[in-house]
Amino acid sequence: MVDALQEAHRILVERGVFVDARPDSRVQARVRARTARGRVIGTIGSQRPTKTDDQMSDKAVREVLRRRLFRSRRRGRLWHAIPFEDVSELNDYLRDHLRFSKRVSWLAPRARRTAPLFVERAVRFEILEKPPRV
Amino acid sequence: MSGTANAGRLLPGGLGYLRPPAEIELGAYGLDLRGLRVADIGAGEGRLALGAARDATSVLAVDPDRGALARGRTEARRQGLSNVRFREGAAQSLRLPDASFDVVIFSWTL
Repeated sequence: MVDALQEAHRILVERGVFVDARPDSRVQARVRARTARGRVIGTIGSQRPTKTDDQMSDKAVREVLRRRLFRSRRRGRLWHAIPFEDVSELNDYLRDHLRFSKRVSWLAPRARRTAPLFVERAVRFEILEKPPRV
Repeated sequence: MSGTANAGRLLPGGLGYLRPPAEIELGAYGLDLRGLRVADIGAGEGRLALGAARDATSVLAVDPDRGALARGRTEARRQGLSNVRFREGAAQSLRLPDASFDVVIFSWTL
């Protein structure tokens, strides 16, 4: 991963901008009922290998910052909502998903899992800058 | 550095997509791409690259998946975007010249 970041640094001009954006496995996804802003009725965690991979990525970014290949300009998080017709469609989606846990941790009884459902997922990003040579 | 700008913001235009639409994701970054040369590394089918090409001078989309690149080229033609190129490659060994881009994007790549 550090190799990839070094390549990004190499092809950038001085003061060029590097963007690292990834799903945020530190934050559970939320399952909302009826609308993208509806009641949260469940949460979805990340698989353990995903968390480990993300920690490795974080470590790589910290490493290039430590080596002053880049400096951080800004970081943020945004939320992305994915619609599902019903619980069955959501379960099918999770069954094959490489990052999410295979099951929803439901916070509401079955009767309140009203379709459509929306999975609201965190995406975090960091804007880095290649500093000029001194 | 401003901490967590945009924290808690729900993407209004994200519905119907497994990933955020390019204009939403690029908008969150707060970058003005006009006049800039952009490299989208791990571009897949060019979701972000095609979005960036609307403003940037040129965009290079790099991905190891030839099929995804082919679909991206087709979509670029369909959208009439002539300033985006697709190239096979891996993030760890980019066969690109030094200091040749103003912006490099790794979205879902690291």
